[in-house]
Parts: sequence; structure tokens; C-alpha cells
Amino acid sequence: MRHDYIDRYARLDSPVHRLPAPLKLALALALVISTVVVPFSAFLYFVACALFLFSVILLARLPISFVAIRLLTLEPLAAGVAILAVMQPDGLFVLIRILVKTNLCLLTMVLLANTTPFAGILDVLRSLRVPPLLITVLALMYRYVFLLIDQSERMTRARKSRTFVPRRGSRWKSAAGIVGQLFVRSTERAERIYAAMTARGWR
Amino acid sequence: MHIPDGFLDLKTAVATGVLSTAAVGISLRRLNGSLPRRKVPLMGLAGAFVFAAQMVNFPVAGGTSGHLMGGVLAAVLLGPAAGVVVITSVLIVQCLLFADGGIVALGANVFNMGVIGSAGGYAIYRGVRLLFRNERGRYLAVVLAAWGSTVLAAACCAGELAWSGIVPWRSAFPAMTNVHMLIAIGEAVISALAFSAIAAARPDIVAEEPRSAPVHEGKDLLLYGALITIGVVLFISPFASRWPDGLEAVAAKLGFESAAVTRPLVASPLEGYTIPGLGSPVAATVIAGLAGTCIVFTGGFFLARVLTRRGRNEA
Amino acid sequence: MNMLEVNDLSYSYPDGKPALRGVSMHAAEGECVGIVGPNGAGKSTLLLHLNGILPEDDSRHGKVVVCGDRITSANLHEVHRMVGLLFQDPDDQLFCPTVQEDVAFGPAQFGSPAGEIDRIVRESLAQVGLEGFERRSPHHLSGGEKQRVCLAGILACNPSILVLDEPTSDLDPRGRRELTRLIRGLPATRVIASHDLELVVDLCSRVYLLDGGEVVASGPAVEILSDEELMLAHGLEKPHSLQHRHPHP
Repeated sequence: MRHDYIDRYARLDSPVHRLPAPLKLALALALVISTVVVPFSAFLYFVACALFLFSVILLARLPISFVAIRLLTLEPLAAGVAILAVMQPDGLFVLIRILVKTNLCLLTMVLLANTTPFAGILDVLRSLRVPPLLITVLALMYRYVFLLIDQSERMTRARKSRTFVPRRGSRWKSAAGIVGQLFVRSTERAERIYAAMTARGWR
Repeated sequence: MHIPDGFLDLKTAVATGVLSTAAVGISLRRLNGSLPRRKVPLMGLAGAFVFAAQMVNFPVAGGTSGHLMGGVLAAVLLGPAAGVVVITSVLIVQCLLFADGGIVALGANVFNMGVIGSAGGYAIYRGVRLLFRNERGRYLAVVLAAWGSTVLAAACCAGELAWSGIVPWRSAFPAMTNVHMLIAIGEAVISALAFSAIAAARPDIVAEEPRSAPVHEGKDLLLYGALITIGVVLFISPFASRWPDGLEAVAAKLGFESAAVTRPLVASPLEGYTIPGLGSPVAATVIAGLAGTCIVFTGGFFLARVLTRRGRNEA
Repeated sequence: MNMLEVNDLSYSYPDGKPALRGVSMHAAEGECVGIVGPNGAGKSTLLLHLNGILPEDDSRHGKVVVCGDRITSANLHEVHRMVGLLFQDPDDQLFCPTVQEDVAFGPAQFGSPAGEIDRIVRESLAQVGLEGFERRSPHHLSGGEKQRVCLAGILACNPSILVLDEPTSDLDPRGRRELTRLIRGLPATRVIASHDLELVVDLCSRVYLLDGGEVVASGPAVEILSDEELMLAHGLEKPHSLQHRHPHP
């Protein structure tokens, strides 16, 4: 399986996709910040925000099921925090508040990520004078992350097919083996990339 | 430990953002002066590596699984400044490409996982290395650095959430730290095993410890240390001083108990219950903590497990 | 005139293992030269020397002459421009997030004026038959497309010599056919190292057979590659298209 599907929606064609990346990034940031800042009593804001984001999904022609799944797969931390939040006075209210805010923010970022190619975001960061080294690292990372995920999945599968009695100890060892091997391969690829960059005049 | 948007309020986001920007700025400046050109591609690949490594699962307990954070591994293999930049890049890509971890919360995530998880871990690593200079000391240092930095990062994370007023400190702190004391064992063991796997396959990579020039090293660690201390003071200590345990016992003895806590900042739900024989506030805190730990463990991980599995199959 | 000349080149890996022993070869202007040999023969190492990537130090003896000038640390940048190197794995070579940036990388490094670069990228992509691929990401391309983008990235630097390392190893038959056609049509001097002996027979006029870091045979491609005994002795096979030919009629 190849993991390049992860950002497949970023290259769809729709009115939203065609908007310039700087505009979308600024809008998303503004929306997230205001969602964080606006007090929960201003209920209308959140309704309006949700309606706006929902219409963006439709305009961008993103499958609703895909967006819904992205919203449901919150981190374990988020789930844990939600439960902890209930354990205080007015806990339920706090829970509803953070669930609404978090989901709106997450929806905003999911929409940004799936309507804007990462290269466009990098261009924005570049024009914002983010240090070049950080940009280079981000660009290389984006380029090679899919490759490495594929590689690690192949290794995991190969290990699984050779393991018959998976005990915890051996599974930790095999996970560490995969991580170690991944690093060695990344290093070797980095050396070859350096050669390729030099060959095309990088100095 | 990726904090999503909507969890932190603006003051916490700004405070963590300032600290993280400072740390990343220091790291980039140090790298600009000292990173050989041939190592630049390695930085990008190391970012992709950490990302991919975070997707490798290992079983923790009761059918749940954890994954590596990789901050200490990156810092030990590439040096502290590179570690901070690599982890920061990972978090930026996760945020902007996968909407994993918030953008307003980016500062907090960089602070917890990049600054504490990588530079803080590296500081522990160097400290242990000073005491144990042989080859075994290296593994011990990796283990302690990974464990310690993960737990401290979790504690800071709890502090940030409590400071934002969304979780009560009394249950969040023990829950977060207890859970991560267990998860951190995984982080520590996997980091050390991965390090030994790398040493076996390519001894040349680990032969030389990646350190900034001796002139800079002390200064760098001092700067990172200062930033982490500010963070800990900001996020943890305001609660710690009101936390009814050792500190308060001291206060009671000295006779100004009543002044210390007039009103609990946030009450624990279990506090109102009087459990026979365990009626004291200390016990209530402990029970609240344990309950929080269990709930987070079972509820959170189970939920995440079910959801991620479904998400992965359908995505 | 010889565009490329290697005289008595020896090189050892950092661990001291010898990789090349007294290799000499040359390529005339516009010529297409093949380098064949089993795995570990030193083909890739030799190619890296042709572009000056491997350092000139104690581990290296002999000289490499490009367009009449010996490669030294002083003219390295110029050598990188004149000798385009296509690596075996296109993923190593496509290191930018978009095709546009990747093809533009060389021209930008070699100081092409900013206004020219877009045009150069467009033309180079057209040359390899990938018009309109500018905004695509390398990780969404097929193996054949990747290899052609790599080639475009090199052609964009306008090199006089092209050095290709296993250009067809990851390609399906169609990708291979397209790339072969492309390489044949290029005017530059070409050096191709490959296990794909059909490709070598098809494109190259002369070959060098490398084994153990030494040139064990050299001469017209058809003659060397149809010598069944020689091929088998060095871990290769006589290509099918030469099955009915004999080296010494």
C-alpha cells in the first residue's frame, strides 16, 4: 500500500482549491484564533462558524464521510482530556464547550490541509521569512515522509509474517528494530540525496 | 500528546508560543553556524524518519498500544539543536498536512515535545553521561533521558491544560503523569533498543557523539534549561503550590494553613464523597488521580484504538 | 575531441576497500558509451567520479578530464554543470516538493537569471514529454514519470555530457521504451551504466566491461556483448537480440 493517498484531496479542483494559499492560511488562522477566543456565551458565532465551514466542505467537494472520520479520530489525549474535564464543577458545560471549539478548529485545519497543497503553504512560509533551514527541512520532510511510511509498513509486514508467537518483549524488540532500520535507511538516503544535490550544483 | 486547538486559551498559547519560538530560534542560529552542508538533507530525512517512527506501534498494556515520540532519539543521534528543529518540523507538518495537533496549540506542542522532549531529554542524557562515561552509560543515559523527558513533557502538558481552565489540575496532573510514567517506559526501552540497532548496523553513525562545540554546549544547554524552567514555573508551579500535599503540610506546621488555600481552585468530583477511613483531602486527591488515570487509560485508549482502526481502514 | 577522459583512476572506499583499480576510459563528442559489469564491479563509483562528487584525496589516484580540463576542487562547480548525472533511484534525485521546483533547482544553482528559469523548466519538461507537470508532487508520479522528471532536471542545466546510472532499473516496459527513445534522441555525449544489456546494445556504440574495479574488456558493443564466454565469466548474459551473432565471424 502506498501512503500518497493521505494528501490526495489537496489536489482536487474546486473554487476553494483555486483560492490563493496565503488567503486560505490567513483565513484558517483567523478562524481558529477567534474560535479559541470568543466566549462560549456568544453561541451565534459558533453556529455561524459551523455553517460556514460546512458550506466550504460542500464547495470544496470533499466527501463528507472523509471529513467526519478525520473529526472522529481525535488523539487519545483529547479523549482523555474530555473525560477529565467532566470531573469538575460544571464539568458537562466545560466538556461541551471544548468539544464544540475543538471540533470547529479541527474542521478548519482539516479543510485547510485538504484544499491547499503543502508546496503552496511552504511558499507562504517562505514569503513570511521563516528561516531557510527550517523551510528546507520541511520541504524535504514532506517529500520523503510518504516514502518512509511505506518503507516502515513493508518492514512491519515482513516482520509480522515471520513472527509466530508475538509476546510483548519480542514485539517491543521488533518495533525498535524497525525504528532503527528506518533511521539507518534515512541516513543512507540522505547521503544519496546530498550527492544528487551536489551533482546539480548545490553549494 | 498532540494538543488540538480549542483546548488551550490564548494566554497559554501565547506563553508557550513565545518560549518555543525562542528555543527554535536559538537552535536554528546554532545550526546555521555549525551544521555541515552535507548534513542538511539528513535533517529533512530525520524529520520524515521521526514521523514514520511515530506510526510504529508497540503494545503497552491491556491490549492498548503506544508509539514513539522520538525526541530523545533525534537529539542523541543528531544533537540537541537539530533535535529541536527536527521535532518542530514534524509537528508543523503534522499540523498543516494532517491537522494532527492544533495550530494555535503548535507552540505548546513544540514546547512539550520539541523543547522538553528533545533538548530537555538531551540535557538529561549529557548529565548521565558525565556520571557514566562507558558504553553502557550511553544506553542508561538514553533510557533515563527518554523516560524523564516524556514524563516532564506530560506534566507540562497537564499544566497547560489546567492553566487554560479546561481540566482540574488535581486529577489532570496525576492522570497525565501516571499514564505517561508507563508510556515513557515504552519510549525509553524502544529508544535504547533502536539506538543499539542503529549502532549495530552503522557503528559510524553513533561513533561520534553529536555535540555542539564545547564552547557552545554549556551555553546552549543553559539556554534550553532556562526556557524549560520558565515553562515549568509558569505551567506547573502555580498549581503545585496549591496542591494539598507536602507543601501544604509544611504550611500547616508553620501555622499559616488557612491563608494557603481558602478556596480550592477547582474541586475534584470525588472530593465531596466521604469514603470511610479515607476522608482526608490527600486521599481524595490520590483517589481522584487514580480514577483519572484509569479512566484516561481505558476510555481514552480504547476509544482512540477503535476510532483509528476504523479511520485507517476507510481512509 | 574526447569530451570525457579517465586516466588510470584508482579509488578506495573510506573503509579502505579498493573500488576502482587503474580504470581508463574515454568518450568522444556525441558518442554513447556503455559500462557493463556485475553488481559491485564499481560502475556506480566510476560514474560518481565523472561528475566530481567523490572527493579528491589520498584515497584517489589518476585523473578525470572533462572537456579538456582536469577535474580539481577549483572547477568542480563548472564540472557539475557540464556533466549531468542521473542517479539510479529517482526518489534520491527528486528532492523537491514539486516538479517545478525540482527541475528549476539546477538552473537556479548554476545562476540562470530568475526570469529565464520558468521557460527553461517548461522546455525541459516538454523535452521529456511531460508538459504541464509543473505543479505535481514527485510522490504522486509513476516510476517512469519520475525518471523522466529527473532527466528534465538534468537537461535543464544544459550539460554537454550525460552520465546515466541504471536508467531503466525501476521502469515497466512502456516506461523503458519511452526513456530509451528519449536518450537516443539527445545530442549530448552519453555514458550509460546498466545491467539492461538490451538497452546498451540498443543505444551504445562502444562498451567497457568492468569487474572487480578494473576494465576487463572494451570495444564495440555488439562485439563485446555477443562474446558468450566473456559475458558468463563476468556474471552477465549474452543479450537475446545478439543470440545469433558471433563475436568473431
